[in-house]
Amino acid sequence: MDFYLGLLQIIGVHTLLGLSAYVVLLTGQVSLAQAGFMAIGAYVSAMLTVLAKWALVPALLTGGAAAAAVACLVGFPALRVRGLMLVVATLAFGEAVRLFFFNFDYQIAMGGIKVGPLGGEGFRQIRYFPENGWTTFQVMVFIWLTVGVVMTALWWMDRSRVGAVLRAVGEDEVAAQSAGLNLTAVKVSAMTLGGFIAGVAGGLYAHYTTHIEQGNFNVLVATFAIAYPILGGLSNVFGTLAAVVFIQGFLIEGLRFLGDWRNLLFGALIVLAMNVRPGGLLDAQTMSKGLSALRRLLDPAYGSAAARQAIDGLKDAGAMFRRLIAKWKGAFGA
Amino acid sequence: MIDIIQNTVDGVMIGSSYALLALGFTLIFGTMRRLNLAYGPTIMAGAYLGTYAFLALDIGVLPVALLVVAGAAVAGLYVERLCFRPFGEGAAIASMISSFAVWMQIEEAASLALPHHLNAFPRLVSGQPITVGPFFFRLDHLAMLAVAAAAAALVHVVLHRTRFGLGVRTLIDHRRAAELVGVPVTHTLTLAFLLACAIGGLAGFLIAASEAQITPMFGMWATTKGLIAMMIGGLGSVPGAIMGGLALGVIEAQAQWLFGPQVRDLIAWGVLFAVLALWPGGLLGGRQVAEQQAVQRRV
Repeated sequence: MDFYLGLLQIIGVHTLLGLSAYVVLLTGQVSLAQAGFMAIGAYVSAMLTVLAKWALVPALLTGGAAAAAVACLVGFPALRVRGLMLVVATLAFGEAVRLFFFNFDYQIAMGGIKVGPLGGEGFRQIRYFPENGWTTFQVMVFIWLTVGVVMTALWWMDRSRVGAVLRAVGEDEVAAQSAGLNLTAVKVSAMTLGGFIAGVAGGLYAHYTTHIEQGNFNVLVATFAIAYPILGGLSNVFGTLAAVVFIQGFLIEGLRFLGDWRNLLFGALIVLAMNVRPGGLLDAQTMSKGLSALRRLLDPAYGSAAARQAIDGLKDAGAMFRRLIAKWKGAFGA
Repeated sequence: MIDIIQNTVDGVMIGSSYALLALGFTLIFGTMRRLNLAYGPTIMAGAYLGTYAFLALDIGVLPVALLVVAGAAVAGLYVERLCFRPFGEGAAIASMISSFAVWMQIEEAASLALPHHLNAFPRLVSGQPITVGPFFFRLDHLAMLAVAAAAAALVHVVLHRTRFGLGVRTLIDHRRAAELVGVPVTHTLTLAFLLACAIGGLAGFLIAASEAQITPMFGMWATTKGLIAMMIGGLGSVPGAIMGGLALGVIEAQAQWLFGPQVRDLIAWGVLFAVLALWPGGLLGGRQVAEQQAVQRRV
């Protein structure tokens, strides 16, 4: 059971990470700095709860804010480059952050043992959850509440003017500029928002694993962060969630029984997915098809005769199922 | 002062292998406008083939060198077919993600073939360092510099004296124009990709031979070093790649002497970020960026 709770925690944190890259991607920027922002959020919030004895939520928010501030500062110079140059510039920044934490020592003696980040050894004993008696289940629920809040906010943002502005910049910068949009403001805001989400993801990650080190935030994680929204599609936030479940749930955990051979198949499947669906697993077309199919199913008056038949069929199946259960109950003498 | 000069000399010699890595990287980037993250792992595949043959068959150092270059080229063909050929223009990010996935594949395949973390690799030359006054030169580093210089000269001749090289340079300048004047684009791209991987293989051989060992971490290491060197020098520019490689070597040697090995990589990435933020396009590749900005200003 704990295994599945742990898996849900991983999926939750990675969804947040993917969403942080999703926001930035909407403006057409590919950022490999998300792992760096995640590291900043993780270290800052963990230091606040462990060394300063803050409560969890303010620490997470402060961690997110610290990452957002850094992201905002990175956003300005990074604006001067675009396309693949931006990818490399953000990669350089993300790696510089990781190597900063590789050289970062700040330890205080607490109750006889020294705690705090210690360079390559990392930051051990982030024991906020065990010390306050949280169960794994409660931690999982807390992580998913955060994911829910962030996803709702982004869903709402996508359908508001803000989302339209972000997408306009992502579709065609020159056209967006001609329409009177301030490119600098839009891009830096997207970067800042992405940094905040990545920082919160880092804070959650630090607290549920209880031990972080610089290796947790390497280029692998940064690539995963942008792979989720790209694999899932940029039409809406659920694509990212679907991609995280596909990669973390199926490709990584589901194929674990393959042992050492897993990575070979993993690579092949990602390449296959990118070849078969270059627009993402849930691109705009699939999503609108799915939504209209759902709408037809939920509202018989809206749909065609075929949809009504399908619903009748489902009702029949339901009735049959109920009869079967009744029969089984009879068979067991209940 | 003596230390600084010694560091610079060491940096230039190590930097010559970075320059070769960057040269391969820049050929791929310049012609395709794509980032090949699997570049380092491709080289590692070649190096693993070489070291596998060295351990199993006990062959000499020159056949190993040939195997490394050939292996890198074959692995490069695999990467090209899987990650670059299938995607049309504009799908640069899909290519990057795919090449990343192939990176994981190659790393896994390499550690399945040779499960040890450290594997012995034959040395190119061995012997006492040459001492000149207060300075000393490691023999393998001198050999590295010589081979790298020869290879760079060869690449220069290929690019400037052959029809294929003309095609590559046209592609680097402008893809659409190259199509219009009849450069066989697909064919040239594949050949340039293979050439790049072979150059990378040579660089990988030189580095592994001077370290006398190879680990699965080599792929990531080669990708990052090649990337930094290429970006510092300027994208898609051959002289830029060589300058960038030498500059990276010198920066690293000085940083290591001043602050120690842990801070060295931090400084390298920091320099890269600063270069990109201050001179977008690298030191010798600013032209395209300037053009883009001119277009923006006109709008």
